[in-house]
Amino acid sequence: MSSILFENKKDFEALLMGNDAIARGALEAGVNVVTGYPGTPSSEIVEQLANVAGERNLYVEWSVNEKVALEVAAAGSYANLKSLCVMKQVGVNVAADSLLHIAEYGTRGPLVLVSCEDPGALSSTNEGDSRPYAKMMEFPLLEPGDFQEAKDMARWAFELSCDIRNIVMLRSVTRLSHASGNVIMGKLPKSIPEAIFEFSGTPMDQMKGAVLAFPTLVDSLRRRQHEKLSKAVAAFEESPFNTYTGPQKPELLIITSSVCNLYTREALTILNLWDRVGLLKLGTTWPLPSKLLEQHLSVCEKIFIVEEGTPFLEDNIKVMAAEKAKQVGIKTFFGRKDGTLPCVNELNPDLLIKGINHILGTSVQPVLDDYSAEAAQIIAAGVFNRELTFCPGCPHRASFWLIHTALKLDNRSGFLCGDIGCYGLGAGPCGFSTIKILQAMGSGIGMAGGFGKFDRFGMSQSVMAVCGDSTFFHAAMPALVNAVHNQSDMILVVLDNSGTAMTGFQPHPGSPAGAMGSKLPMLDIEKLCRAMDVRVEVSDPFDLKATRQILLEFLEDKGNPRVLILKQPCALSPIRKGRKMYEMAIDADRCLADHCGCNRLCTRVFKCPGLIWDTIKNKIQIDEVLCAGCGVCASICPTGAITAKKVR
Amino acid sequence: MDKDDKNQQGQQGINTKVLKQGLCTGCCACVNLCPSIEYYKDKTILVHDCNLEKGRCFTYCPRTPTDFEMLRCALFNPGDMVLEIGAFKGLYMTRAADENIRAGAQHGGTVTALIQLALDQGFIDEAILADQNDQFLPAAQSIVDKDEVSGKSGSKFAVSPTLSVFNRISKTDTGKIGVVATPCQALALAKMKVNPVPEDKMRMEKLRLVLGLFCGWALDWRKLQKLLKEKTGDRKIKGIDILPSKYACMEVYTMDGTIEIPIEEVNTCVRDNCRYCFDMTCEFADISVGAARSPEGWDVDRGWNQVIVRTDLGGQLLALAREKGVLEFKAVPDKNIENLKKASAGKKLTCLINLSEKTGNPDDFIYIDPEDPVVRHIKKLRG
Repeated sequence: MSSILFENKKDFEALLMGNDAIARGALEAGVNVVTGYPGTPSSEIVEQLANVAGERNLYVEWSVNEKVALEVAAAGSYANLKSLCVMKQVGVNVAADSLLHIAEYGTRGPLVLVSCEDPGALSSTNEGDSRPYAKMMEFPLLEPGDFQEAKDMARWAFELSCDIRNIVMLRSVTRLSHASGNVIMGKLPKSIPEAIFEFSGTPMDQMKGAVLAFPTLVDSLRRRQHEKLSKAVAAFEESPFNTYTGPQKPELLIITSSVCNLYTREALTILNLWDRVGLLKLGTTWPLPSKLLEQHLSVCEKIFIVEEGTPFLEDNIKVMAAEKAKQVGIKTFFGRKDGTLPCVNELNPDLLIKGINHILGTSVQPVLDDYSAEAAQIIAAGVFNRELTFCPGCPHRASFWLIHTALKLDNRSGFLCGDIGCYGLGAGPCGFSTIKILQAMGSGIGMAGGFGKFDRFGMSQSVMAVCGDSTFFHAAMPALVNAVHNQSDMILVVLDNSGTAMTGFQPHPGSPAGAMGSKLPMLDIEKLCRAMDVRVEVSDPFDLKATRQILLEFLEDKGNPRVLILKQPCALSPIRKGRKMYEMAIDADRCLADHCGCNRLCTRVFKCPGLIWDTIKNKIQIDEVLCAGCGVCASICPTGAITAKKVR
Repeated sequence: MDKDDKNQQGQQGINTKVLKQGLCTGCCACVNLCPSIEYYKDKTILVHDCNLEKGRCFTYCPRTPTDFEMLRCALFNPGDMVLEIGAFKGLYMTRAADENIRAGAQHGGTVTALIQLALDQGFIDEAILADQNDQFLPAAQSIVDKDEVSGKSGSKFAVSPTLSVFNRISKTDTGKIGVVATPCQALALAKMKVNPVPEDKMRMEKLRLVLGLFCGWALDWRKLQKLLKEKTGDRKIKGIDILPSKYACMEVYTMDGTIEIPIEEVNTCVRDNCRYCFDMTCEFADISVGAARSPEGWDVDRGWNQVIVRTDLGGQLLALAREKGVLEFKAVPDKNIENLKKASAGKKLTCLINLSEKTGNPDDFIYIDPEDPVVRHIKKLRG
């Protein structure tokens, strides 16, 4: 592997993306086992490490979901290996049950959980903040404040985990994971691990006993866990990742962590306030280093806590300040809770400037409040208004067209429960607003299973759910089992586009190869569903006629769940990208345009970006560059004005 | 018409003024004109939104505002107009001469015999008539061979999507088309024929003959399915019928014998929109056919049809049927015409009452002009 990221020499500097820096840090720590489930902004870490799996003798897998990913990584730890488990913020919720038990027992080989989170929900359906898990489940939490730290703290997380024999969580955010900065590399170690799971010792022998979470052991396990936390605090008090910059007696003490460190530094430089304001940047945010905080809190009355997500630091520091009130005195706190900073969304230097202006009465003008609105207005004049939409040739457009039509014809106010994937766009115009419920992974099927039981309360609406192929394995299977067992009257449509498309085609258990590229057996969704003894049909969403018939039949059917698997690879997948199935052409004489009889069904309703409306001729045109040649628009054109010729 | 009305003479108008008002007859005049409206299992479905301010769906719909008087003047001889039952050239009592046709018919088989004759004699090249599947879901079919007609006879209790087939067939290079139509369908065809949008002129010229059916009401197929399921369980149903009898009921023929459903229960399945229908005798047809009802009792004319001839074409067809011997005729009792007028006026009056109840305005009949001479006459009859 030629990437500079993996060069086996030390002390050279390179521009690295935050996620690459974390991957490098893990390599420098000598990681052996890497697991994860894809999710923006976390996916690159596992992908990068998969690239050097052979070279660095790693075991890397994309697991079926985050809980299993953490369990495979924990197995690594219990086999005395160094393990890394990577996920996005929502994944931590999926893994939470295992996480609680792993943290309670502790680890053997180091186990680092990386959660890459998404303040501002740039690529998420939520602003989940996983930091409270560290407090709730009592394990250490680290938050790198720049790119060098991302690498260094990733490496150190392994050392810490090894020292205290418990899981350590490293939290990144989109603006760190996906931004880039200079990083000085360390050495890549030589390690010759010997994997063995020992169980010869007593249950409380952490390194050699059986790993048991048992009611009678809980008291002892938790006491041991608290000792580990105390050991972590001792290390945190001295940690070079907690830094202070500023005067000895600042007018205002800013306490921050993570990428907010960079925003705060920029704001203080713009405000020219480094001589008046102190910045305590914490890299270790749970448990808090109490002595370090006591020392800084006692020299300043005004405390401004800058963080994204929930007021996690703010609450914990306030508790500590109360506990140490005699030593540090009464403080005035500013942060997200009092409105000095907005309580939601990500932060930026301008919001920091506004906050500091509010506290110190400075008057540097940050970006104007109406800047965004004004910029949008100026841009609107020169840029086409583009809706969120599926790619040209995306199978989801055809699938939603079919589901929309079937539910309309069924005429029982039927609705579709959505799930997490590109197909979440089915809630918008490109999916004909078919999805009416969209929450977590797998929850569409779970809820459809519920709705399908409410006929006894007079519910007569048809209930459908969609999930992708990756989601099917991740979280839909138990929900489907539940619906089958409880005989719920619902229809599941699996939108099988042959990969975890939205996050970049990571493989899943239905794929022919794993993260490391080696051939693996493919699990067949159809066979799995058939084994549940439900009616299963498989169809091509591009075959509108046949698929429509199946959907209408399914809607007629009653009782048990029915499963329709719509198979068609993603238009951007390696199998389809750049390959047209059809050469599309226009017979302009047949085009009814915006006249009664059509009214531009293709560009007004179907709206594939590969179709363009020629406003001069008032006719449909194919955008040769964008068209993926799926041929579906020819099937929806009522007059045959769009034609499809099979490409050999 | 206010501004909003003017902007809503397309699919949006169909939605707000017809479908949401419960006025849709299921005639399918709006189906197969565009890809956004479909017929599915006895329902007219707006599959995709259309934002055109004017559309043929609205123009041809029999439940959008209609100038009845203009249609009557354009299609019929003004001298033939009878306020209660429309254009009238004569009332006849007929039945098919062919016993086999009669055996398959609900009443006298006159419709089947006339359509066969029309195809055979080149009156029309293609006939569109109702059919149904084994669950009594009506379908419509276009037929060119007269021998295929007889299998389609017998009453259908739900509206068939006849006009969707007319819309499809009339776009092809077919010849003269004859349509067996209910009153709502005949009205839609009249709107299409008298005032087609320019692109429909050619295809409307193909409409040669409208053979109308008397109609009291139609059943909602989805409701009927539910009722039949309740009454027969899993038994296989061979057929259903409502025979003229003293005690009206629906007879359901199953493998295990006949199950009778009282008419009051069947009435709960009647389409809501039928309450707002102004036409019993299919006034916009060339010739209209219904069951014969004799003043002497329900069973006197059992097995016979009553026929109203409305146009010269209708008259020619009936005369030809007499000449060729495909229909048998019997004398019409004097009172029949009066009874027919009374029954028809009764339906019209009920319609006006129901419409004004819906609008809350005694002079707002939604799709019917309060100044229409027939409306004025009916209101006068009521006193």
